[in-house]
Amino acid sequence: MIANKELAFQNQEKEDRAAELVIANNELAFQNQEKIDRAAELAIANELVFQNKEKEKRAQELIITNKELAFQNQEKEMRAQELILANKELIDRTAQLVSVNNDLESFSYSVSHDLRAPIRAISGYSKILEEDYIADLDVEGVKVLHSIMSNSKKMGQLIDDLLAFSRLGRKQVVFSEINMSALVKTVIEEVTSLEGQNIPEFYVDDLPNASGDQSLIKQVWINLISNAVKYSQYKAKTRVEIRTYTKDGLVFYTIKDEGAGFDMAYYDKIFGVFERLHSQEEFDGTGIGLAIVQKIVQKHRGTVWAESKIDEGACFYFSLPKTI
Amino acid sequence: MEINNVEILFAEDALDDANLTIRALKKSGFTNRLHHVKDGAEAIDFLYCKGIYAKRNITEKPKLILLDLKMPKISGLQVLEKIKSDPALKSIPVVILTSSKENPDIEKCYSLGANSYIVKPVDSDNFFNAIKEIGLYWMILSQPPQ
Repeated sequence: MIANKELAFQNQEKEDRAAELVIANNELAFQNQEKIDRAAELAIANELVFQNKEKEKRAQELIITNKELAFQNQEKEMRAQELILANKELIDRTAQLVSVNNDLESFSYSVSHDLRAPIRAISGYSKILEEDYIADLDVEGVKVLHSIMSNSKKMGQLIDDLLAFSRLGRKQVVFSEINMSALVKTVIEEVTSLEGQNIPEFYVDDLPNASGDQSLIKQVWINLISNAVKYSQYKAKTRVEIRTYTKDGLVFYTIKDEGAGFDMAYYDKIFGVFERLHSQEEFDGTGIGLAIVQKIVQKHRGTVWAESKIDEGACFYFSLPKTI
Repeated sequence: MEINNVEILFAEDALDDANLTIRALKKSGFTNRLHHVKDGAEAIDFLYCKGIYAKRNITEKPKLILLDLKMPKISGLQVLEKIKSDPALKSIPVVILTSSKENPDIEKCYSLGANSYIVKPVDSDNFFNAIKEIGLYWMILSQPPQ
């Protein structure tokens, strides 16, 4: 009996414990659920924090972008201002250039008008002395008179050359196809037609046509060919060769003589206005010819250069655009 | 001063150019009846018999007028315009003599009716020859309208 009671009690105990465990279990399950819920809440809260942070970051970024845009706007305004200024400067510079050009034109006009008149007078009066009063002068007097005459003649020539050069600067280049072989043939005939000259033998390649201003390019050939003849005059038997080649869409013409040549040490001078490497007594001239050649070739966007050896001759090269 | 029977009216303000031109014409035999005036105003007075030329016979007209362009008071261009717009004078040949090749007036001169436009050469030989030939051409070779 006692043992039965004991067992019954133990059962009861077990049942109670089981019930307690169920409760405890339930409690735990609830707590777990709670934890899961809290965890979920936390996750949501975390997400919100993250989102907030993102938003803040984006906001920051937007602020930066805004600032940048504002800065860029400012930059643009500044650039616009700068452009306006640059434009104004350009307009001013153009106006200055126009005025310089006008000055040059009025300068060459006055050189031509006001300087020519007194030289004409000196030249004219010395001519009168020579014609009507030469008998009253002794040998020295005649010599002085002739010096005055030759100098006034030279001065007149210089002024006319200077004017021709300045006119050239203002001349518009009119492009057309130039029959170069025909042009060179004509120029050689013209240049060598003056009697009493020592004329070199000419060799001329078959020259391709080029694009350029007929009258200006003719002047280039006149100056180069007459130079070749002039600087060959003291050599007994010489030859002038005119050749050609094409490269990079350009036609190159070369003219080579066997004349006096020049010292390459003074190369940078030969295309200068009134620059001369020979004395007036040796070779006549004012020193305008090659300056004109260079100016004309440059006006055609070509280049001109030369090579030489003293006493062996010179070779001049120039390029022109090919005909289209 | 002989103001009648003038064959060549020569307007030039620069004394040296005038001397040299007159001499060149004289040497070529053309100066017996040349009259020199020193500016455009005097040229007009001469042609219209005004001022000091009031006593000149207006029916006598020069055979040739040599005109410098750059002159004080009335310029050569204005004189030319006046001559060529006057039916009584416009048949007189007018030769413009100027110092300058650069002169922008060259076309204007021709459009106003100038008969010739000569740039005075600086070189004396060329200058004297040019003047001589102007005289020869306009006074002898060229036939005026009857």
